[in-house]
Amino acid sequence: MNTQAIQILFLKDLFLSRWPLFGYLVGGLLSAMVTYLPGETAGFIGFILMITVTIAAGIHLIGVLLLAESIDMTRVFVMSLPVSLLDYSIAKISVVLVAFLIPWLAMLASLTVLTFVVPEAKPGILPFLVLLFLFMLAGFCLQLVTAVVTESVGWTIVVVVLGNVLLNLFLKSLWEHPVISQLHKSEVLLWPPIVLQIMAIEAIVILVALGLAFLFQIRRRDLV
Amino acid sequence: MSTTLHQPHQSMAAASLRGIAKSYKHFRLNNIDLEIEPGTVNGLIGPNGAGKSTIMRIMMGLVTPDQGTVSVLGQPISSRDASAKQDIGFFSDDMRLYKSESIAFHMQFVRSLFPGWDEVYAQQLLDRFGLIAQQKVKGLSHGQRVKSLLLLIFARRPKLLILDEPTNGLDPVAKQEVLSELMQIVNDETRTILYSSHNTQDVEQVSDTITFIDRGRVIASNNRDEFLDGWRRFKLQAPQNWQAPAIDGMRPESTFGNLRVMTLDRYQTGVEDRLQSSGATLESSESMTLEEIFVAAVSRGREEKQ
Repeated sequence: MNTQAIQILFLKDLFLSRWPLFGYLVGGLLSAMVTYLPGETAGFIGFILMITVTIAAGIHLIGVLLLAESIDMTRVFVMSLPVSLLDYSIAKISVVLVAFLIPWLAMLASLTVLTFVVPEAKPGILPFLVLLFLFMLAGFCLQLVTAVVTESVGWTIVVVVLGNVLLNLFLKSLWEHPVISQLHKSEVLLWPPIVLQIMAIEAIVILVALGLAFLFQIRRRDLV
Repeated sequence: MSTTLHQPHQSMAAASLRGIAKSYKHFRLNNIDLEIEPGTVNGLIGPNGAGKSTIMRIMMGLVTPDQGTVSVLGQPISSRDASAKQDIGFFSDDMRLYKSESIAFHMQFVRSLFPGWDEVYAQQLLDRFGLIAQQKVKGLSHGQRVKSLLLLIFARRPKLLILDEPTNGLDPVAKQEVLSELMQIVNDETRTILYSSHNTQDVEQVSDTITFIDRGRVIASNNRDEFLDGWRRFKLQAPQNWQAPAIDGMRPESTFGNLRVMTLDRYQTGVEDRLQSSGATLESSESMTLEEIFVAAVSRGREEKQ
């Protein structure tokens, strides 16, 4: 493993995705702020914007950083350099994940801060937001493993669509859950066992998806 | 059939492929043996889809063969080991740069991975190739894109250059610029080049040794001059019942009435006399161009396979 090569590849990809990354970061922060503007409509719009930015960031970054390299044949150029498949795989999966985590974390962090800063906000909403953001991260990781395995825009979009359908069902089930549905009214931050259990499942999905993405990538026999 | 191009000691070879096979759905590379001597320019000629690119990709570790071993610059090649690639420059016709970035970005990126990057030479190449470092890749013509890629390769001063169809689609001026630069590199006898093309003229211009590939097989491999000297075409006037004398490597190419055209791949002096004494009248005994030799060799290879 060549850590210097991994670092160079990582920074190169981060640089290549700088403009979409900047756009999603700004969009994410703005949508988080809109969520806490006075009035229900603003909150609803901000919430929808936040989900939209997260989903768009995921598919766009996977497209720009991962699928485009195979479709545009820039991977042949990169792999003609003194870079092993292991170096390439570590750099590629790390950078796609980190690039997604930048707006994702910025949104979650700003929402957390705003929850404690905005007088009307109730800290009890935070576990719900964490569940939602982890769900979207898990969805992104499943898109990532699909993109790595299939190298197909079509199949990746299928997983995005399925993820969106599941997200709606997930949100519906959270709102209907007797414990979770009451959390957003609470002035106190609580982490009931059901929330922790769902978080654990989400974490497992994320780790398994990332592991599979890496495993499939390093076992690839042909790079063109 | 597999043919070994020269048989130097293992340690002497700049690249060595032994028993390489690779199967795809509609194509199979068959038992390829190839030895490339250091300091030589080796031309790989074959029609589109013959397997040239697959061989080169296997040599770069981009494609894993189903069978056989590959070593380049004394090291085994696989996608898991990148050390040999430090001294290899690989160009492929379908290779692309990042279109949203400039040539300068790519120069900086490649320089960061190659301690031996020659910045002075890179600047000279920019000038010689008429490239502007700040220009974005998406605004480059095909010729400028090829020259940019070659600049990124040449400025590393690699010991082995693997060039897959570098002159494909270039206009005559750009092609000459690229070939001239290659000729300069060839003058450095420590550097080895493997150069593929379906254009025999380009390969003939720069190569010491030439290998013909067709349908995933090596069909002939030899020193360029021996190829050119060893092949000959004869035009004969012969009666309908004429029996060609048994000359090793002699094959009929075409017949027009009494006119017979024969090709020979192991020419020796005295063949003309044997043809004359067989009852035919020799009209001409001609050298063949590399392109004609290639076509004849492919046609023979396909006949043998059937």
